[in-house]
Amino acid sequence: MSSWRKRAEQSLGRLVEASAAERIFISLAALAMSILVGGFVILVSGFVATCSEPFLAQRMLITIPGSGGWGVELPLPGSFCYNPIRVYKYLFIGAFANPQQFSLIPFNPAIDLYSLASTLRETTMLLFTGLAVAVAFRAGMFNIGTQGQLVLGALGSVIAVLWTASYVPTGIVGGIILIPLGLLAGAVVGGIYGAIPGAMKAYADANEVITTIMLNFIATGLAFVLVSEYFQKPGSGNVQTRSIPEYATLSPALFPRGSSFSLLVIVGALILAIGIYLLLHRTAFGYDLRTSGIQPKAAEYGGVDSKKTMVSSMALSGVIGGIGGAIYVLMILGRWQTGVPSFGFDGITVTILAGNNPLGVPLAALLFGMLKSGSLTIDFALGVPKQLVGVLRGLIILFVAMPEFFRMIGKRWVTPERQSAVATDGGTAVEGGERDE
Amino acid sequence: MNSRVRIAGLSIGSAIVLGVLGFIFPGSVLGRLVGTIDGSYASAALRYTVPIAFAALGGIFAEKSGVINIGLEGLLIISAFIGIAVADTMAGSAGATQTTLWLGFFAAVLASTLFALLFAIVCIEFKADQIIAGLAVWLIALGLAPFGSKIIWGRVNSPSVGTLNNWQIPLLADIPVVGPILFDANPTVYMLLAAVPLTWFVLNETAFGRWVKASGENPMALDTVGVDVRRVRYASVLLSGVLAGIGGAGLSLGQAGLFNGSGTTMVDGRGWIGITAFLFGNYNPLGAFGASFLFASLDALQIRLQQVGFQLPNELIGIIPYVTVIVVLAFVGRTRIPDAAGEHYESGEE
Repeated sequence: MSSWRKRAEQSLGRLVEASAAERIFISLAALAMSILVGGFVILVSGFVATCSEPFLAQRMLITIPGSGGWGVELPLPGSFCYNPIRVYKYLFIGAFANPQQFSLIPFNPAIDLYSLASTLRETTMLLFTGLAVAVAFRAGMFNIGTQGQLVLGALGSVIAVLWTASYVPTGIVGGIILIPLGLLAGAVVGGIYGAIPGAMKAYADANEVITTIMLNFIATGLAFVLVSEYFQKPGSGNVQTRSIPEYATLSPALFPRGSSFSLLVIVGALILAIGIYLLLHRTAFGYDLRTSGIQPKAAEYGGVDSKKTMVSSMALSGVIGGIGGAIYVLMILGRWQTGVPSFGFDGITVTILAGNNPLGVPLAALLFGMLKSGSLTIDFALGVPKQLVGVLRGLIILFVAMPEFFRMIGKRWVTPERQSAVATDGGTAVEGGERDE
Repeated sequence: MNSRVRIAGLSIGSAIVLGVLGFIFPGSVLGRLVGTIDGSYASAALRYTVPIAFAALGGIFAEKSGVINIGLEGLLIISAFIGIAVADTMAGSAGATQTTLWLGFFAAVLASTLFALLFAIVCIEFKADQIIAGLAVWLIALGLAPFGSKIIWGRVNSPSVGTLNNWQIPLLADIPVVGPILFDANPTVYMLLAAVPLTWFVLNETAFGRWVKASGENPMALDTVGVDVRRVRYASVLLSGVLAGIGGAGLSLGQAGLFNGSGTTMVDGRGWIGITAFLFGNYNPLGAFGASFLFASLDALQIRLQQVGFQLPNELIGIIPYVTVIVVLAFVGRTRIPDAAGEHYESGEE
């Protein structure tokens, strides 16, 4: 499987090498294409679905302008329930406002604090998982296992807080002790669970794409068993732990009480993004990590212990994922229960869209936070299944994966002189990963 | 000794030891367990092998030709879903008949093949990164199937549609022990039993098989002798789509009779286990089948364990196959993959 590794490293290297301008262009173009194809999916699914008020009826009258109603009646092969433009409008506006009242002229933002909190809540979670995946990717490791690291980190956090809660005073003092403890527990558990596939790759040459995916399944099963056998909330029908005390949760500030979003946490996540950027670009460890990701052979000649880098980068990735898990339980849920949302997989999309750049991750996370939050609006207001966002997520990755597609389109549209500029831009960056800021 | 052979030997050996122990102490949990391991256990294990092994066979074709297809999980999801969706839609209010189930089956294989075609175009034409494109195929399927379920049935799980009837082969089915296992089975099991030697034969004994191998090892040489590398790769990826499609349809139409789209969907990592199986089997269809059968029998075993009331939580037994995969990978990490796998090939004539 060593060649798998070689392949993965090369492809990651290629992703990192592309220049910043091209990365941004590719991400935006991929986004635009995904929205286009997604619109087609919405149209087709609206054809399959049944509804009382289709937006395109069985017969459509296309009139000639100015003719006073003359035109052709076009028979359609059925009726279409969903209007893609409307769906997208609700998807994006519903993420922060009431789409029915929102208007630009006259300007009425109709901000809905609950929707906004829900968007920022998702964004915060995706910031953590996106950063977690980005760290591993930059080191040349395909960490698909953030989900598992997050699930176990969340559980570790809850258990640590519940255990300690009886020994410390309640109220603010308790919160000051318990919240950092919960974060630490999540970080430690996530870090250990992340180190396992790192060590397996370093010492047994086991492909980390497969091991991390398997470890996701194991984490879900393990957490389920641990909770149902040892930490089950008495008398509850669901598999869940007891709730952590109110004073140990990250309570919302500036937002409605029930919104489960704390502004403090997103600020912390943004600081973490900057911190990781600095770690990657301003420290010796970060340099080792990046060179291992781009040029593993050269890094080894340069004295980098590649095995150690594999384990430590995966452990660091797991630590961030585990903190994400801790935030999930401390800020959002207040307990652990089965069915943790797929933040880890969304994190993969976020970082791929962000070109593995920690400073790009917040923007990509915000986009996906909007999509996730808006998906509830389209489900509720338009009856379009919220799983649509899953389709869009896959499409975005697909288009980001093929920069060549956009280069080919670019060549058709761009004049010959500029075409050469595009071609050199898309080639190999001379300075490797140094230019991708 | 080859670590693969060692592990295979070890697992067969420990199975025999456990079997003998269980036979000696029939009152123990082990004894009760061994008591339930019979013909119906073997048929169940063989049925569970179908999706894993078909994914593995498909993966072999694609990767041998130089295209790493880690989207197999997605292909299984899409075909499992389309199979049920088409069978249910065709059936109307009367309920699905064998005819509509078979129509669903062919639609499922077609859908998986079209998805594989999309993957092939993206990888070969647009030189996409194969690992990321494969992830995309998985994620698209993971979103599309529950989305489609919600559109069609209003929830992520389909109602029960029914399964393809077993085919009983007269006379042969009456052979004791072997008969009910091998000759009174689901059609998809027969397809698998045919596909394994057929795949082996195509890869090792035909010109196409030689092209596939050359395309993955040394595409330039293949190009030099005048064979179109792109066509070989397209054909191989499409074949992986066909095979994974049979696997996914075998799962939903052959076993479950419905589609379950919650969580990681009913496919639940079988595509990934399929990839592990062919790596473990060292790209040999027979070895891949053996490894798939090993994983599937563990899956069947955990269901058995639950049935005999073994004092372990279901979910813990449920992770046995995944833990096994991890352990296997820890010991057989190294596999020599085709030299040119993952690399784009540009013909000099273009």
